[in-house]
Amino acid sequence: MIQAAQVTVRYGQLVAVDHVDLSVAQGEVVGVVGPNGAGKTTLLECIEGLRRPDSGQITVDGLHPQSDRAAMALRAGVQLQHTAFPPRTTVEDICKLFAGFYPKGAGYAELLERFGLSEHRRQLVVKLSGGQQQRLSLALALLGEPKVVFLDELTTGLDPAARRVIWEELRQRNEAGLTILLTSHHMDEIEFLCDHVAVLVKGQIMARGTPAQLVASHSRESLEISGDHGSVRPALEAISGVQLTTTGKRLLVQLDDPALRAKVDEILARHESAAVRPLNPSLEDAYLNLTGEQAHVL
Amino acid sequence: MFFDVVAFETKRMLRNFPSLFFGLAFPVMVLAIFGGIYGNEPSDFWDGRGTVDMSVPAYVGLVVAVAGLMSFPLGMVEYRSRGFLRRLKATPARPGLFLAAQVIVNAVISVLGVGLLVGVGVVAFDLHAPAHPLAFAGIALLSAAAMFGLGMVIASLASTEQTALVIANLVYFPMIFLTGATVPLALMPDAMRAISDALPLSYAVEALQWAWVGGGESITVALYVLGGTVAVSAAIAAWLFRWE
Repeated sequence: MIQAAQVTVRYGQLVAVDHVDLSVAQGEVVGVVGPNGAGKTTLLECIEGLRRPDSGQITVDGLHPQSDRAAMALRAGVQLQHTAFPPRTTVEDICKLFAGFYPKGAGYAELLERFGLSEHRRQLVVKLSGGQQQRLSLALALLGEPKVVFLDELTTGLDPAARRVIWEELRQRNEAGLTILLTSHHMDEIEFLCDHVAVLVKGQIMARGTPAQLVASHSRESLEISGDHGSVRPALEAISGVQLTTTGKRLLVQLDDPALRAKVDEILARHESAAVRPLNPSLEDAYLNLTGEQAHVL
Repeated sequence: MFFDVVAFETKRMLRNFPSLFFGLAFPVMVLAIFGGIYGNEPSDFWDGRGTVDMSVPAYVGLVVAVAGLMSFPLGMVEYRSRGFLRRLKATPARPGLFLAAQVIVNAVISVLGVGLLVGVGVVAFDLHAPAHPLAFAGIALLSAAAMFGLGMVIASLASTEQTALVIANLVYFPMIFLTGATVPLALMPDAMRAISDALPLSYAVEALQWAWVGGGESITVALYVLGGTVAVSAAIAAWLFRWE
């Protein structure tokens, strides 16, 4: 469905997207993750046809995003990172407007119902909360019954219940054949929705695979020590390949190599006051390792 | 699709109090004030013409100026600065449709504004019929084209809504007082006359008054200035205007 080859975008000296290859099969859900400024939005904009890459080839459903703009716009729904609505317009006005753009756009009432916006139909869009605007933006992306949707920061700013609703909605549509390319900062979202993940750092893809593959190959063995960890700390610090991060009253111990576990256990056995809990490897660990970002100290 | 866009713009216009006020109510208010003070008796200020006969065509200039210089560019900048035009690029709609719809909606407001003005003039102040109705319509159209052209330049220069509002106000409000629309040019000292001569709306007012009351003086220069304004502003806007 989506083929991007060697896509490169430069802003002056900065290479925002650096020879990126990305392919998304029909009916697949692919997530692009990465730190802020990694080039996720720029890459998405190239695929959406909103930006011309400096080099590289992109096709979406066989179409060129820029030269076949009109045909592509009928097949692709877009949610931009920043929801952008004009003033003095209501939810219903803007839905009617978008419904006029698409041959299959008439069913927006049902979308509003599902996204919990029905009771806000007559409200001015600028008066909606951030989360409501986000949901409206998603409804507009889906309104033309597209074959593929591009969702930039899908559920940023939404409460947990609203996120669930959106995930379920997208999963249903995906099961009906919708192809989805999304970016997100939420690893739970990626794990729930995505068949494949690409990790973008400084414009380059550092890793790709299924969420399970990334967890298996990139998350480190971790332990959490609560209680009195002050006395253990120096001994653990002395082992190379062990990373320590204090989070609140707990100490997070991450092992670069599973073989270090024996050494660590030996030290911990001598400090009985420290309570140890092994942590399940998660996509978030894998992500933090891949992107070289440290867990934020709370 | 275009019908949906026009419908959308129409609803937005109906909620746009400043545009409705300055396009429909404000000119009638000014007419009511000056007409109420001076009536439509022949006046020395106006070369022996009635104040209302001279004011109504001049306020027609104000109506097209507020639509072209304020409502229209502000609408475009609202769309662009909020990224809505960018969002539209990802739909089957062309952003040009929205520009066209804005022109149409503002043109309709202008026509209604002119109708109200003339209606109130006739009913309340014995406004006389125009001497050259067709020429008046043509000049009104040309004046509107000049104002919308300048509005497009404002929309090209202003990157934020605040800037657009400031530029539009800076351009529009002096024109109310300095173009002969409200204060007779004959009363102005040379310095103010010079400023007035530099404003395109002054020529619109002059030509509109000529078409309404008839008269000996030539409006050739005024027509050239208005035509030139259309051409130059179109060229500048084509060069500078950005959708994003």
